[in-house]
Amino acid sequence: MNVKPMTVFALAVGLGLGTHLVSAATGDDLITTYQRQGAGPFSAAAGARAWTAKHLPEGPGEQRSCVICHGTDLTKPGKHATTGKPIEPLAVSANSERLTDPAKVEKWFGRNCRWTLGRDCTPQEKGDFVRYIQSL
Amino acid sequence: MSNPNEPASGHQGPHATAIPSTDRVRVWDPVVRFFHWALGAAVLIAFLTEDELLGPHTWAGYIALTLIGARLLWGLIGPRHARWWDFVRGPRVTLAYLGDVLRGRAARYLGHNPAGAAMVIALLAGVTATALTGMAVLGAGEFAGPLAPYLQGVSATTAHDLAEVHEFIANATLFLIPLHLLGVVLASLQHRENLIRGMIDGYKRGASQ
Amino acid sequence: MSKAFIAVAGAALIALGASGLAWSGHDDDDHDRKGHREGKGLMARGDLAAVTNALYRTECGGCHFAYQPGLLPAASWVQVMGTLDNHFGDDATLDQALSDELLAYLEANAADRNDRVRSRAFAARPIQGEGPPRITRTAYFQRKHDEVPVRYVKDNPKVGSFSNCQACHRGADTGDFNEHQVNIPGVGRFED
Repeated sequence: MNVKPMTVFALAVGLGLGTHLVSAATGDDLITTYQRQGAGPFSAAAGARAWTAKHLPEGPGEQRSCVICHGTDLTKPGKHATTGKPIEPLAVSANSERLTDPAKVEKWFGRNCRWTLGRDCTPQEKGDFVRYIQSL
Repeated sequence: MSNPNEPASGHQGPHATAIPSTDRVRVWDPVVRFFHWALGAAVLIAFLTEDELLGPHTWAGYIALTLIGARLLWGLIGPRHARWWDFVRGPRVTLAYLGDVLRGRAARYLGHNPAGAAMVIALLAGVTATALTGMAVLGAGEFAGPLAPYLQGVSATTAHDLAEVHEFIANATLFLIPLHLLGVVLASLQHRENLIRGMIDGYKRGASQ
Repeated sequence: MSKAFIAVAGAALIALGASGLAWSGHDDDDHDRKGHREGKGLMARGDLAAVTNALYRTECGGCHFAYQPGLLPAASWVQVMGTLDNHFGDDATLDQALSDELLAYLEANAADRNDRVRSRAFAARPIQGEGPPRITRTAYFQRKHDEVPVRYVKDNPKVGSFSNCQACHRGADTGDFNEHQVNIPGVGRFED
């Protein structure tokens, strides 16, 4: 049987693309966890909207938002609002370490959601944030 | 035996004939010698560590104080040339002696000569004042050391001032050291003897020549 | 000058010197603890012992300068670690096991648990004011910084606050806070 080189090439490219499409993106294990907690489907757009939302704290103080420390462009470094300490970019595309350590992600979700929203984030909200961070 | 309160011999001057070195006298006892070099070491350490290494710096100060206190007592009960009354002179005698030194006809003394005696007093006073003000700075500024409880109420401004005083006195004392070295070298040359070695092994040329 | 005066003076100086040596040689809290036991005061280099616990550096140095344990007394560290949910306005909660481990390190190396003079000074006086203990509110800190103009710090965008140690104390991370190495950004060297 005579197999044309072009066919082989097309098959190779197709397989390559296909495996890329079905391979796991960084942070997908977190998505799975949140799905098991009953949340989903998740949307990067919802995450983006929640990112810039403002919340009034209990008691005195300015309005709070993720933007205050992490900024609006997650591919750039942020800065701690009180201490000024630089924060590495959150976007996976700019910082390959992000979303790789589930314990670290949960720790910061815990602290930062409680500080910003005054309560823990729901699995739905967390999943939307993860999708947003993955999408940039 | 010559009178200890008089110069060791008549005017010896730089033209005296060579003297055989077998005639040696033990002038400085071990306590005096140990004290001399130990105090020098303590002052050197304090100078080098300054307030960069506060631990060694304060230890050097405490050791200096203890050494000086012991030397004060030793000067009351020790051998002849260690005793204060052997060498401490009033200002008139001291100035007259300095004049003789400058004219190159200073008398030779077995123990400390009047200029050396003046340097002893100045250095002891300077190091003591430095160490005491240092303890005050430690207590008022770092809340540390045995004086700290007595300096509780001292204001921050006073603590700063104490530090300035300590630094000033320390520098003034350090300024004496090159003068001391110069004096030792000058006396060694004028009387043709090695005074530095004398303070190490305790011996000097005998007085009878 | 009488012999009696010299004798008394000599005895007094010996007493002072000896009391100083005795004071420096005190040996407290020598028993083995979890966390790094400090060296003796005489051999210690630098003002404060550097942070040796990698976990502390990661967890507590993530948002602000990793303040050396020697900057606060043990009781203050207990207070800080007990109120992490409201850590000077932020939520810094940690899981209990991690929090316990860090507190053990902090207590073992606290200002009142090591030999360095400039560390013990932080524990010499009680901390004034309400709320969680601040290093910048210790009597020693205030005494050391009272001649620094506020405009060099709070109005200086490169510094911001007195809590930002390493902005001016370039060797702060290694425990060196010596005033001869201070370099205020935008101002230069500063010694008082």
